[in-house]
Amino acid sequence: MTPALAQALVEPWWISVIKAFVIANLVLGTFAYLTVVERKLLGRMHLRYGPNRVGPFGLLQPIADLMKLLRKASFFPKGAVTMLYILAPILAAFTAISAFAVIPFGPGWEIGGYYVAGQIVDVSIALLLILALSAVGIYAFVVGGWASDSKYSLLGSMRTCAQLVSYEVSFGLAVLGVVIMAGSLRLTEIVAAQQEQIWFVVPQLVGFLCFFVAGVAETNRAPFDLPEAEQELVAGYHTEYGGIRWGMFQMSEYINMLTFSALGVTLFFGGWSGPILPAPIWFLLKLGALIFVFMWLRATLPRLRYDQLMKFGWKVLLPVATLNAIATAVLVTIF
Amino acid sequence: MRAVAVPLAALSDWFPFLVYALIAFAIPASMIVMSFVFAARARRSRARAMPFESGVSQGPPPEQRFTVSFYLTAMLFIVFDIEIVFLFPLAVVLGDVGWLAVGAFGFFIAMLVIPFVYDWKKGALEWR
Repeated sequence: MTPALAQALVEPWWISVIKAFVIANLVLGTFAYLTVVERKLLGRMHLRYGPNRVGPFGLLQPIADLMKLLRKASFFPKGAVTMLYILAPILAAFTAISAFAVIPFGPGWEIGGYYVAGQIVDVSIALLLILALSAVGIYAFVVGGWASDSKYSLLGSMRTCAQLVSYEVSFGLAVLGVVIMAGSLRLTEIVAAQQEQIWFVVPQLVGFLCFFVAGVAETNRAPFDLPEAEQELVAGYHTEYGGIRWGMFQMSEYINMLTFSALGVTLFFGGWSGPILPAPIWFLLKLGALIFVFMWLRATLPRLRYDQLMKFGWKVLLPVATLNAIATAVLVTIF
Repeated sequence: MRAVAVPLAALSDWFPFLVYALIAFAIPASMIVMSFVFAARARRSRARAMPFESGVSQGPPPEQRFTVSFYLTAMLFIVFDIEIVFLFPLAVVLGDVGWLAVGAFGFFIAMLVIPFVYDWKKGALEWR
């Protein structure tokens, strides 16, 4: 189905509501099981079993974790600014979950005479929306670290802020090549352009590498997990958080990883398109592969030093991403 | 009536996002509420509310000072992020406009490469 045709079809409002509810819960369910998958994978990579006590193969582990976190005593550190201290994890989780809204996971279907779109919302600034929401998410880390009134939290939040804004620049430049090739910020049109041409990872290999490195840094994952470097900062910006409030920061990290992987699949690996199997299955397969790389990196690479991190971001990633954007602009115009 | 129809159409584009954003807000908000409802009763103790620190805790100093590098990074970020904001619309129409757009693209980036090289030479990109 072409994007123009898909736009002509409008889904009824109650389908949008049901779909939004289902997708939000699917995202949360995926997050819960990502934690188990990550612990299992890391366990296997360290030659041990990982969680295998709660339920068959440890499959009920996330439920047990949730119960434990909810039962933790809730208290405030002495000097905390209560309102902001509470709001920060809400903001982190909110931006993480809502960024997933524009990711297309299928071509759109007709079910019982009603049109069901393959994404929650298809807007012309989809890519900018994801960038904007991830930028707003930085406030959560800064405010949370500042409001808890502790040395480690404050240092961690300043580090997080500097790291995230540095890599956001490279991130924006890395996706610019894809935008030039597709001529649109609409993710559905970027997927359609890849069906006509080729997966953008082939002509945009440099862009993809920049995107991936910047994405790992943006989601605070190892080897760029400086914001929560245990050995130096205890836990960074969430040192003073406990229970489910800490859990919400973790949730935002995992859902950000999910969204960035989904964005990578959409921009560089043809989104949901693939032969034989249904579109959402292809989407999940590609998504799983990319998330596996995220977890693999954590098991393999040691953490960077902070000056190395900043030097890499500004002196390597930014020039390379800029050159990639310029080269794409010139080559697209020639051919 | 026609003047009203256009913004409403734009709004209906965003309607699913509004619903989804509401749900995305309701989930963490309800978790915070649950953290008060289901939480085990905290024993009152002075040590529990102390900010974490190894050794004797004095709390954070009233005025914490930071490396100047943080401020430099913030300024660099503003410059380059605005650059990207301007580049996105240009990138969308680049295929249709052709060489003129590429020229504008190159000129705009060149304007930023000059201060970038200056920053590099001055050592503003070093972390101290």
